Amino acid sequence: MPTENSIKIMPKAVVCEESNLRGDITFSAGCVVHPSATVIAEAGPIIIGENCILEEYTTIAHRLQAGASWNANNILSIGTHNVFEVGCTVEAARIGDKNVFESKCFVGPGVTVPSGCVVGAGIRMHTEQLLAENTIVYGQQALQREGMEKQSSQTLQIDFLRKVLPNYHHLRKPNHDPKKARSVV
Amino acid sequence: MEIGDTYYSKDEYVETASGNKVSRHTVLCGSQNIVLNGKVIVQSGAIIRGDLANVRAGRYCVISKDSVIRPPYKQFSKGIAFFPMHIGDHVFVGEGAVVSAASVGSCVYIGKNAIIGRRCVIKDCCIIEDGAVLPPETTVSSYMRYTAKGTIEGGQGNPYFVPAAMQDEMVKYTKAFYEHFVRTPAI
Repeated sequence: MPTENSIKIMPKAVVCEESNLRGDITFSAGCVVHPSATVIAEAGPIIIGENCILEEYTTIAHRLQAGASWNANNILSIGTHNVFEVGCTVEAARIGDKNVFESKCFVGPGVTVPSGCVVGAGIRMHTEQLLAENTIVYGQQALQREGMEKQSSQTLQIDFLRKVLPNYHHLRKPNHDPKKARSVV
Repeated sequence: MEIGDTYYSKDEYVETASGNKVSRHTVLCGSQNIVLNGKVIVQSGAIIRGDLANVRAGRYCVISKDSVIRPPYKQFSKGIAFFPMHIGDHVFVGEGAVVSAASVGSCVYIGKNAIIGRRCVIKDCCIIEDGAVLPPETTVSSYMRYTAKGTIEGGQGNPYFVPAAMQDEMVKYTKAFYEHFVRTPAI
């Protein structure tokens, strides 16, 4: 892990200063990071897609496997419109779009979460697995079913938070120009 | 039940004129929207989100370590709204609990790591067990016990789940907790 943190924040992202960010992390436009959220990029960079919400005590970690070291090509990419609710811990290998991780859930390394999934409150997923699209993990036994109904979009909440949070919190300044990034890619 | 003294260091806690004891290691967002009615203990690591909506807590509440008090939101056809949250008197919120209820009555015990979903209504003298998960918009009527299994037990004067003297017990417990939460004596 490089000793210097490199946090890239695109314009229109709202990242509270009281969040703990370690390593090479990119927040795309429209992300909302509440205070006391933690993102740890230990094994490689983390790229968080547009319009994600990270609530309090969320931990997103890209942890080192035993014997491995920092690898700049080992990217944990998180898609767009994901919601990480209060106190969830997500160490998943890959995360698609429009997922909801409810309060205090744990998603271990080796779990691949595609799109439209919901992991219910308090559920702990340790085993290596590939969830199907639109899976809903629910209940005490962590049963899985396919979600029939479409998830409601979180854009309204993001709009509200983007208006309110700057009034009460010190924010990290957007420091990354997407145009410049495009030229690099 | 007798409670032993819990000591805190002078540097860590702030005591207000009305007797609130608030740790410095808390995240109180939008503190102008948070009303603590006196003799409330807010322990380290707790988060109260006053920036989203008003939060009112009654007297002798205990908000334990790492718990999150977060006003609930509801999505309407255009825009969302966060609702103010009221917590009654003599409420104990256990460690690591997430409370997103619309209202919490008086003399309520919320166990460790309980998750109270959005816009739940918790009436007076309830017990929420440790690790219980309340789905959004649940109502727990008074003298009911919400178990970790997800069932609501008790009621109709059934004392096996919530003691008939729940009110007195909670008053005694939270008062004792407050009295025994004392500053480390100077050596």
